[in-house]
Amino acid sequence: MADHNDPNAVNSIFSDIDVSAADLYDLFGFPSRDTEKGEHVVIALTFASVPSAGVLDPDMLYRIRMVAEPRVVPPAAGDHSLQALLRYFEALKDKYLGPLKTSEIRVNVDSSNNATIRFINFPGSTFVKTLKTNEEVVIDAPNGSAIKAYIGGRDDAFFNDLTGFFRSINYAPQFYHVPHTMTEARELKIPKTLLELEGNDLFNYDPKFPEWGYHGVKKDLPSGPLTWTGNAFRKDANGNYRFVYSGIDCQAGKNVNAIILEIPLKFITTAPNENRIVNTWGESWVLKAANKVETIPDHPFWLEHPLALTDAFRLDDELKRYKLVDTDGQPFADAALSEREDSRQMGANNFWLAPHFIKRLAHLGWGFGPSISALGLETSFDHDNSPVSVHKTYALVTEAFPRVRKTLFQKLNMADSTWNPKGIDIPLRRPLEIFVPNVCAIDMDTTGTWPFGRRLEDQVATRFLSMFLDMEAEFKGKKYHIELLNDQSLWDHAPIEPKTPPNPLKNDKDFLQDFPYLAEPWQR
Amino acid sequence: MTKRTDYEIELDRIDRAISELEQDASTLPIDAEKATKLVYLHYQHASLRGDLAELARVETALNAAIREIGPAGDLYFLKANLDFKLHRLTAVRQDLETGRDLKNSAQGRSLQADLDFQDGKFQEARSGYETLIAEEPTWDNLARLAYLKFKLGDFAGAERCYIEAENELTAKQMRHYAWVELQRGVLHLRSGAYEKAWNRYRIADLAYSGYWVVSEYTAELLGAMGKFDQAIELYRKIIVHVGRPEFQQALGELYHCLGQPEQAEAWYEKALSAYLESAQRGEVHYYHHLADFYSDVRQDGVQAVKWARSDIALRRNFSTLAALAWALYLAGEFSEALNTIDEALSSGVADAQLFFQAGTIYQAANGNGKGSEYLRMAAEINPHYHDFHTHR
Repeated sequence: MADHNDPNAVNSIFSDIDVSAADLYDLFGFPSRDTEKGEHVVIALTFASVPSAGVLDPDMLYRIRMVAEPRVVPPAAGDHSLQALLRYFEALKDKYLGPLKTSEIRVNVDSSNNATIRFINFPGSTFVKTLKTNEEVVIDAPNGSAIKAYIGGRDDAFFNDLTGFFRSINYAPQFYHVPHTMTEARELKIPKTLLELEGNDLFNYDPKFPEWGYHGVKKDLPSGPLTWTGNAFRKDANGNYRFVYSGIDCQAGKNVNAIILEIPLKFITTAPNENRIVNTWGESWVLKAANKVETIPDHPFWLEHPLALTDAFRLDDELKRYKLVDTDGQPFADAALSEREDSRQMGANNFWLAPHFIKRLAHLGWGFGPSISALGLETSFDHDNSPVSVHKTYALVTEAFPRVRKTLFQKLNMADSTWNPKGIDIPLRRPLEIFVPNVCAIDMDTTGTWPFGRRLEDQVATRFLSMFLDMEAEFKGKKYHIELLNDQSLWDHAPIEPKTPPNPLKNDKDFLQDFPYLAEPWQR
Repeated sequence: MTKRTDYEIELDRIDRAISELEQDASTLPIDAEKATKLVYLHYQHASLRGDLAELARVETALNAAIREIGPAGDLYFLKANLDFKLHRLTAVRQDLETGRDLKNSAQGRSLQADLDFQDGKFQEARSGYETLIAEEPTWDNLARLAYLKFKLGDFAGAERCYIEAENELTAKQMRHYAWVELQRGVLHLRSGAYEKAWNRYRIADLAYSGYWVVSEYTAELLGAMGKFDQAIELYRKIIVHVGRPEFQQALGELYHCLGQPEQAEAWYEKALSAYLESAQRGEVHYYHHLADFYSDVRQDGVQAVKWARSDIALRRNFSTLAALAWALYLAGEFSEALNTIDEALSSGVADAQLFFQAGTIYQAANGNGKGSEYLRMAAEINPHYHDFHTHR
């Protein structure tokens, strides 16, 4: 019928696989409270429960990479110039992309859902184990270390008002049926904001349609211009603003698949007393089609003889068989700071994104900064006292940088001293140190609460917003801190509806006190 | 119990997805996303089965969806693809203009480059593909560029692009991978390297089992290798499930090669009836086959010219020009045949079949020696260019 080329691409527009097992959700990392047999670090990588919770996709390879090192020395105090910042990023890049060698854990499953876990380039130990999924196991490493592992389905440990976040950035696909061909209609060119904008009918809460934007409930994309032309925040008859957030947990009742590990620090580094920071990040890789053919029919040899595998395979060659799809280190490093573009899923090696990070932060700041000011709070972002959020993008980092200087360099105050149980001299972290590189940097001398790692109970979505607060300002006689926006008393007195912290304060299921920490999966 | 093939599993998956969506999509008010997805699923189903009648029903459903939902880019993208598949290039241009934000989308620009290719604007097509690939190296645009290079005689460049396309494909896209493997096989087939083509086709079959498209390519290859019995057996199996006239014509030609003219004629008649019925319904996508049929099977130059002119009115490119030139040659219109084949050659396409036709026309119309030169060029590309081949 056709004497022309027909690559059938049209069949790809609605993907064959709606939710991909490659979609990484979160990376958690914190020191274990159980130190009886030495220090341990807990790392949990969660991802889409595809094909189902407890059943992993055999075409996937998951990597958890890690390296322990002493605390990084940030740019010199007082030198808050763009040059100093870029020099700092450059030094980090040399370190990460240079001689630094990371250790890693690779996990995949066979068609019977049995997992193979490989520990690679750990000090003195590279070895392989096969284990059953959905069971807690203890892996005895060749150097005598006992590593706890769980690979399988769990409750989704993330709890946040994802719809509220998408409303704050005017992300159309959460609210509208956006045609796949309309790639420009993602984040619409409307100011980002924490407070609804007067006349922003494209995104403002619709009291006649309260479910809108939740549970996949969407409207058809209107035919008119996808813009906003107003000049004020919306206020109700009582003079209250309308919060874009509702505090609803959009992840409630959802399951994930997870790789959860509790690893002795001495297994990760030979100098656990010096290397107090465990940097870790996760990656998902999907088997390339060409290599799938090679595995037809299934060749059971390497699963039956896993130890032979490490000898027979050169591991870099193994990765060539896969395609990197997703990376996860810091929460919101991708979703909020990289515009959710797949091409920017660069993981720890996101140094080249540093200038973009600054420009994106300024873009967000023009949205969130005026919102914070309108609520009577102090912001770290310089928005020239704008009375309303502004949609502004930057081509030049030199123009963006002065706006976000304080946001980038300010120390993020902690709510109290519980994060530092040993009471030792640990500098507070600053946004510039947190997001580049995109790793979860677990400080073993802390509890590992964000940004010193990430604990399951951390409300990181709200803590992320606190970057835009001025940490020198005070609320009720106390310096602003990363938990301030989680404080109900703040909202009780704010001119806003609903009077709620932006995101839920706890998970829908209680976390476990002991390994594997994440709650049991929901039964369907 | 026989293990289900990948093809059967995918058809079943689409069937289930259609069943799940069908109730929701028909309730009022129309859910645009579900309705769009449903019509895409129907299109995928029809395409996968190669069923033209089903494709016609999809078109009806698509038009109904457009009436309900409006000029959504996704729907018009599907419409444009459907029109393209059926050689309605004017309609494709209109679709690109009508679909909301479609023309400047990546998908719309790919289609525009395909249109340029069909119009013989190879430089524009190449530039379009290369720009899209620079933005994002998707497998389908790499395959498009590969095909363009193949047609321009750059077999090595085409192979590189196909390999790059495969490198973008994952284990979740095995049908696409099989398709690219088939195209790599065609590169070998059209250079006369049958064993290499066979190996690529085997990989395609391993990658995505039970696919009639793989069988059809394999049947052609068996014919080219002179294994007419096996080719016939395979085509007969394909036709049971996908009764398309071009396959019936191929089967007839294979019987002809086997020295069974009565069997051949029976299949020829079926093919011709179907081609003509299609044309009578106002469809245009078999014009090219009708021109080829009257040229190669009936050797009826007058009829061949008629259909070739109809086809060229829709799309003037090296392929339609060569078909017309060959028809004119068979009709004894040597002078016009010569002018027409010259226009086809001026496109820059390097294809053994084109050079064979040019050589033959030149030898009949002009004794300047160019005929021998073109025949030599044909043999240089494919020393077996006379072997059996299908009209794809």
